[in-house]
Amino acid sequence: MVEPLSPLAPAWKPGSHGNFAAGVGVVLSETRPGSIVEAAAWHGEEKKLIAAIRKSTGLSLPDGAGAGTYSGGKGAFGIAPGRFLLIDQAEGLAARLREAVAADTGTVTDLSHGRTAIRVAGPKAEWVLSKLFAIDFALPAFPVGSGVSTVHHDIFAQIQRTGEDAFDLYVFRSFARSFWKMLGHSTEEVGYEVR
Amino acid sequence: MSPRRAASGGRIDRARTIRFTFDGRAYTGHAGDTLASALMANGATLFGRSFKYHRPRGVLTAGIDEPNALVTILSGDVREPNIPATTVEIYDGLSAASQNRFPSLGFDIGAVNQLGGKLLSAGFYYKTFMGPVVGPLKGTRFWMFCEHFIRRAAGLGSAGYAADDARYEKMNAFCDILVVGAGPAGLSAAKAAATAGHRLILADLDATLGGSAKWSGETIDGKDAAGWAEAAATELAALPNVRVLPRTTVWGYYDNNTLAALERVADHRLTPGKGEPRHRHWTIRADTVVLASGAFERTLVFPGNDRPGVMLASAAERYANEYGVLPGNNVAIFTNNDSAYCAAAALRQAGASIAAIIDVRPDISTAARDLAAQTGAELLLGHAVIKAEGGKQLTGIKVQRFDNSTGVLSGEPRSIEADCLAISGGWSPVVHLASQAGGKPEWDADRQAFMPPPATQNWIGAGAFTGAANTETAIAEGRKAGEKAAGAKASRARPVKVFAPALDPHPAPYREIRADGKAFVDLQHDVTAEDVRLAHREGFVSVEHLKRYTTLGMATDQGKTSNVPGLAIMADARGLSIPEAGTTRFRPPFAAVSLGALAGERYGDLRPDRLTPMHDWHVEQGARMLPAGLWFRPQIYGDPGETVEQAYVREAKAVRESVGMVDVSTLGKIAVQGPDAAQFLDRVYTNMFSTLAVGKARYGLMLREDGIAYDDGTTWRLGEQEFLMTTTTANAGKVMQQLEYYLDIVWPELKVHLTSVSDEWAGAAIAGPKARDVLAACVAGTKVDNEALPFMGIVHGQIDGVKVMICRLSFSGEMAFEVYCGAGFGTHVWEALMQAGKPFGIVPYGMEALGTLRIEKGHVTGAEIDGRTTARDLYLDWMLSKKKPFAGSAVMDRDGLLSPSRLKLVGVVSLDDQALAGGAHIVTGGSLEQPGEDIGHITAVCYSPALGKYIGLALVKGGKERIGRRAWSCDPVRKRFGPIQIVSHHFYDPEGSRMHG
Repeated sequence: MVEPLSPLAPAWKPGSHGNFAAGVGVVLSETRPGSIVEAAAWHGEEKKLIAAIRKSTGLSLPDGAGAGTYSGGKGAFGIAPGRFLLIDQAEGLAARLREAVAADTGTVTDLSHGRTAIRVAGPKAEWVLSKLFAIDFALPAFPVGSGVSTVHHDIFAQIQRTGEDAFDLYVFRSFARSFWKMLGHSTEEVGYEVR
Repeated sequence: MSPRRAASGGRIDRARTIRFTFDGRAYTGHAGDTLASALMANGATLFGRSFKYHRPRGVLTAGIDEPNALVTILSGDVREPNIPATTVEIYDGLSAASQNRFPSLGFDIGAVNQLGGKLLSAGFYYKTFMGPVVGPLKGTRFWMFCEHFIRRAAGLGSAGYAADDARYEKMNAFCDILVVGAGPAGLSAAKAAATAGHRLILADLDATLGGSAKWSGETIDGKDAAGWAEAAATELAALPNVRVLPRTTVWGYYDNNTLAALERVADHRLTPGKGEPRHRHWTIRADTVVLASGAFERTLVFPGNDRPGVMLASAAERYANEYGVLPGNNVAIFTNNDSAYCAAAALRQAGASIAAIIDVRPDISTAARDLAAQTGAELLLGHAVIKAEGGKQLTGIKVQRFDNSTGVLSGEPRSIEADCLAISGGWSPVVHLASQAGGKPEWDADRQAFMPPPATQNWIGAGAFTGAANTETAIAEGRKAGEKAAGAKASRARPVKVFAPALDPHPAPYREIRADGKAFVDLQHDVTAEDVRLAHREGFVSVEHLKRYTTLGMATDQGKTSNVPGLAIMADARGLSIPEAGTTRFRPPFAAVSLGALAGERYGDLRPDRLTPMHDWHVEQGARMLPAGLWFRPQIYGDPGETVEQAYVREAKAVRESVGMVDVSTLGKIAVQGPDAAQFLDRVYTNMFSTLAVGKARYGLMLREDGIAYDDGTTWRLGEQEFLMTTTTANAGKVMQQLEYYLDIVWPELKVHLTSVSDEWAGAAIAGPKARDVLAACVAGTKVDNEALPFMGIVHGQIDGVKVMICRLSFSGEMAFEVYCGAGFGTHVWEALMQAGKPFGIVPYGMEALGTLRIEKGHVTGAEIDGRTTARDLYLDWMLSKKKPFAGSAVMDRDGLLSPSRLKLVGVVSLDDQALAGGAHIVTGGSLEQPGEDIGHITAVCYSPALGKYIGLALVKGGKERIGRRAWSCDPVRKRFGPIQIVSHHFYDPEGSRMHG
């Protein structure tokens, strides 16, 4: 069995970094889900797609812009009208979804290799992400499970809040190492641990 | 004890001594001092030389409005010029230098300019450097010639050459309420608003909150004002819903209540903490803004008002009360309003003697009279200062009887000795942000000031900003503003009481004191009252033109102390009232913003870049990596000692003779899915895709809507309703956007989904006569022979346990295949292919060889699809379907695009065995100096190993008609001129037998 290679490899330096004398402000990690899939509904077929997603993943997606859900390594959130990003630590989600989503409901695109999943977690997660994105990361404005599609300079990012102080970021694989470096740099001030 | 430090008092920490240097000399100060207060404490009076006349200048203010005392902060080789010494917090190791002086601040050669006063008046440069009408220095050339010398003599500090190594950071913030300014009004607003639990940001440009409360000496709520402010600040800082931002200047107010602020995070320390930025730039999106930005005191205009020792009264008061520094031992006061009487009393209490109080008004309030009596000073009502005397330090003043209603001086002048003159010309609310938000400030004749405009965005004003008459009113207004911002009901709590003299808030009408000598309006740009009148005499009417002609208010302080005085003089000259003469509106920034903070950190290692899945492999193999847009791609895999040309010729030869492999992961890849996908492609491509069979690929060309060629690439049909479109690397994003535009706007009825899968797939193109043998040696699960995998066929299989998708297509003109796999497996598959290719002598090749192979083959890229050429220009007519319309088809054959003089694609061969250069012109003869007719240009060049010649692609007038003709390559930039032959762009294997074979 061949393991996919992380694009972060040479820049991946486990341990504590930056100004961590008073504890680390955030923990940075790569969640390496087995499946990252985009599902898109034809106009008017959104509810059917949400039902199909529930059937094949067990995830109940709330309807509404940016709404989402996350539990136990499985996540789903809206990234655009009628479009959802679905994540599963297990492989094979795209194939399962293709079975469940009829051609007149929508389409399924496997992005498991194309996106890199980075988790930013800890008391300073909101502070650090606010340096990079013009997004309100406060809990009332960005509840657990919900997500956004945004951009840092030229780097497109889809972000889901997976805990009160945890965010999972999905960036294009080719940008991942560059983004990772910027993330480490921005996090130095509050001290961070890579694990 | 320092010469000017009072024995006690002030809010500095006298137990902590801070050591710093100014102009190389060591000084000490105390924690809490600014550079200005510390130097003054050491007896300094001279801080800088003026802009044009090199006049000696001292400190005028105690804050951001300072026009004179500008210094350069030194940090290693990095210099930051033009920083007001009044805003620099001192720290151990601080090193600062004075500016615009040579050889030293005390003895400055440029001071001779003072004698040529008339020469350097308003418009001097415009009038003098118009230049002759004819000759080599005609017109602006004369100015350009002189400018260098003028810039040296005039000006402020100079920037250094060393790169700034400090860190700068950006921050985004969202809040319910932003309070700008933490004086009594701002603190009161924040306290009222924060209790409701709203998200609140409180920003103040000083290091500690409190504003005027830090030095007013008033009693607020039974406490001394500074103590009240400190308690309020502590209370606010402890609230979880409040973020307090000290050392933060809110400098811009933009649409949708978006504000910009600069936080000076580490300017008060020699070195920032680990990972800490020097400055942090805040973009704050606030539902409601409370503007409590206070007011600036104004100068009075009279001869010699720029002498060191002439200082704003509020500044003198602040130096005494906050820093325990006396700006003079024998201080005279000159004012047109009551506020300066507080300064007089404070200075007296701090230990100075008050020489006299000169007031232009014939009568004053009882409270002011009482304060004057406390100082024991002589009170000269209905008088004005007509001259400030002295050089590097004030020695005395001359006063005369003055009628402020007419401006007439009378009686005998009288001299008064003083080493400091504290002046007050009234107060101007800091309306900058409100003006930036939209709206025109409104003149208030009673206050002689521009008041904030009606709010056009969601802000509420409070305190001196709205013209509050005293601290008690400011605090009450602040509370009201805070409650309103929070949407809370008015509190029933009793109002905060402030114990302060009941002064009259209205100044006398603003008037210049006209007597002999230079009277300055704008101290930083050396604009005098006479300059303003001269501008008027020369016909300038509009305030905006006046500003530009005299440069009034255009220096780094943006005329914070001088705008109203300038307007008053202009209005007087024109016989108008101030509001009739004009209103100054403000634009961002309110105060100087470091360029580093605006730029952020998007450079060097932090510049975003894109790496292919095989990037590390290329680097390990010694590839020289070339930036291509945001991507890095191998240029060559050079052997030791090889030149670039030797390397790419070796790599290209290997492809022609055996087999080579290139990383094509950077190609744009778009999943096009849905029941209407084929129809959609028929519309966006010039050729037909609905007829393409599943499992086959086709080369496609897209036009822009105006008929010009846009992009090309192959699109693979993976299923009945599923295509994989590839685009050029450079256009991947643009094509995606254009296709989304078509689907969203033009053809919303089409059921098609687009998803960028550029990064999902790693791609390797394997090319050469042995390419199929390599695949046969490593691919499992499918055959790769001509039958299973014909030209433009697609198969699915595995390489070393990894699923791959292989398409037989060629960019090089050789038998070639593109092998795609999941990006995470890219290196694995690449290495397996290299291993399988070993027996065939496989080489990895880079962009140079790729370019060489495609030039030999005559394939076009972005160099030829350059946004100006059409399909016909590139001889791609065969791709223009006649059976269907497509994007661009309606206008692609309009007259202009069919003109015989259009530049069309050809090949060129160097006839003198010299390398050609991309971008060189093609001319019909002549020489480098006198070239013949320009008929086009070269787009791409290489040494062709297949032909043994330097060749290139070119766009020339007439295109193929010129084949066989001689022309010349003319490259004036690189100084090269040489003979070329125009040939067909299909240099190599025009029949395509090699790739089809």
